[in-house]
Amino acid sequence: MDEAVEPPARTVLLGVAESDAHAVANRLIEMQLRGHGIEVVNLGVCTPLSEFAEAFAAHPDAEAVIIGSLNGHALEDLRDLPRLRAAGHIACPVIVGGNLSVGSHKSEDDDERRLRAVGVDHVLRDATQLPLLLDLLAGARLASDPGEPGGGVHRVLAR
Amino acid sequence: MSWLDELDVGRGELDTACGGAELPPAAESVAYLRASRKPAVAQVLRAADREARTVVQPRCGVGGHAPMLGLLRTLRGARPGVLSVTIDAYTRLGRFGTARRVLDAEPVALNGYPLVAHGWRRGRELNEAVRVPLEIRHGSPDARVLFAVAISSGISSFEGGGIAYNLPYSKDVPLARSLRAWQRVDAACGRLAEDGVIVDRELFGTLTAVLVPPSISLAVTLLEAVAAAREGVRCLSIAYPQGGDAHQDVAALRSIRVLARRHLPASVEVYPVLHEFMGVFPKDLGTADALVRYGGLVARLGGAVKVINKTNQEAAGVPDGPANAHGIRTAARGVEDAAACVDLDEARVREEMYWIQREVTELVDPVLQGDSLFDDIAAAFRAGTLDIPFSASRHARSAVLPAREPGGAIRYLDPGALPFSPGTRRFHAGRLRGHRDARNLLEGITADINYFLTEEGRASTTSLRATGATGVRTP
Repeated sequence: MDEAVEPPARTVLLGVAESDAHAVANRLIEMQLRGHGIEVVNLGVCTPLSEFAEAFAAHPDAEAVIIGSLNGHALEDLRDLPRLRAAGHIACPVIVGGNLSVGSHKSEDDDERRLRAVGVDHVLRDATQLPLLLDLLAGARLASDPGEPGGGVHRVLAR
Repeated sequence: MSWLDELDVGRGELDTACGGAELPPAAESVAYLRASRKPAVAQVLRAADREARTVVQPRCGVGGHAPMLGLLRTLRGARPGVLSVTIDAYTRLGRFGTARRVLDAEPVALNGYPLVAHGWRRGRELNEAVRVPLEIRHGSPDARVLFAVAISSGISSFEGGGIAYNLPYSKDVPLARSLRAWQRVDAACGRLAEDGVIVDRELFGTLTAVLVPPSISLAVTLLEAVAAAREGVRCLSIAYPQGGDAHQDVAALRSIRVLARRHLPASVEVYPVLHEFMGVFPKDLGTADALVRYGGLVARLGGAVKVINKTNQEAAGVPDGPANAHGIRTAARGVEDAAACVDLDEARVREEMYWIQREVTELVDPVLQGDSLFDDIAAAFRAGTLDIPFSASRHARSAVLPAREPGGAIRYLDPGALPFSPGTRRFHAGRLRGHRDARNLLEGITADINYFLTEEGRASTTSLRATGATGVRTP
């Protein structure tokens, strides 16, 4: 078999925000994405942004960083994100999801606006939408940069 | 060598942790415990077991000392058999200085009672404030300092173990380290037993609380129990989390004594304990009360000597004192209901017992046949031949995926690398066949986790109604 036509693995970096030890959804998302044919580097619970940046350095072709948060402290846990993004330490889409603010009366638009302001690209309320979002992002990447090494056509053919 | 020396914590380290307040000499604590006029937890459990009763115990812990005293006194009126001192998260992780700082600045910000920061004298005040004995509940991978303060406080029961107080609570503590820290606690209990003080060591089988297959919970607590017995622990409470299907839960509880007889020396007292449902609780107060009562019923039918109750405020967060007192009474009502005729299908219970015990044997035998228990446990978790679902720790693979069969029983949808026989695998696959469309895995498992929010799950809390003469009278 010709090695050159092997589609390269799709990889994402997954973890739970720094102050948060909720493991169940994290594990389910890992299984869901693996089932979808995506390699998951799961950094697990209580993961500081610096660990996401280290993982990105080790996997520079990662399609996305996916950060879950259930305890309502996401914004506080992500306060260093603008600095890391500006320095190029996390140079792929950042997706955040879960329960994104403390208290039982929420404004989802407000939560989303604040997270976008610190550099989050996509806010998801429903983890079942993740595979679709990642496919769309992969498709968009192909359309904008079909000659991208390690990506492009192969990624979509892999679907 | 004293029990305090067995812990292998330097005196200087202990004094620093305790903020300079020296612990009493080891022998003085032994004398204090022996002279106590109130019963030790082991005595309460022994009496309940002899009289075929199930005692109820709440979880409770608040930061401030006066509020903690108030909480214990509030709950006393609900007649619990044992009371808890639930410890805050900083103390659990050995961050005693942080716990002390937060205690000074804003005690209500602590999610439990920081016993080490308060010190052993206040611990004795808690102990002397109520007639029933206290247990320390926490979640520490290394609890040696907390144990030293608890025993100095005259507290006669201490929860935890090297596997179940590590994997669900910590991200990166190697099992070798937590197992050895708990070995020192168990050795201290062994030494205390020689001096006439029996400390009840409760093992937390609940793990990550949702969809825990019974054989995983029992395999973990059994390995912890074997480790504890080897160090001389004489009284073990082995806890199991209510999964939701009464027959499976009763079978798991009844299997605890069978497995203990098979694997532990006869000199060790073993008491089955049920944690009432630890997953997502219904918001509706009446439905939540039904679930709390159902837990009491299942505990008694399974022969549990103790049940740790929940409350109708679980869906909202940590319950207040009155709700917790109501929870104790509601669970006790369930225990009483079980004494009446109950329509439990004993053939189904026996079938579940067969599979649970077969699975536990397949899980623990390879480990127990090795030469070095702790190394073999750590190696098995590395290889995934021991595993837990939804682990917070990277020292378990978490390749296991559980799911509910239509009746609510928890099965292995994917056993990962667990060393199950082909027959065991076929049993689980057969029970789950056609249950769920694989494309909707996430939705399906989420629904299984949220079982008691669904009509099917809510119905099961009322499915074991007393049925008069047609029912089966249970022990």
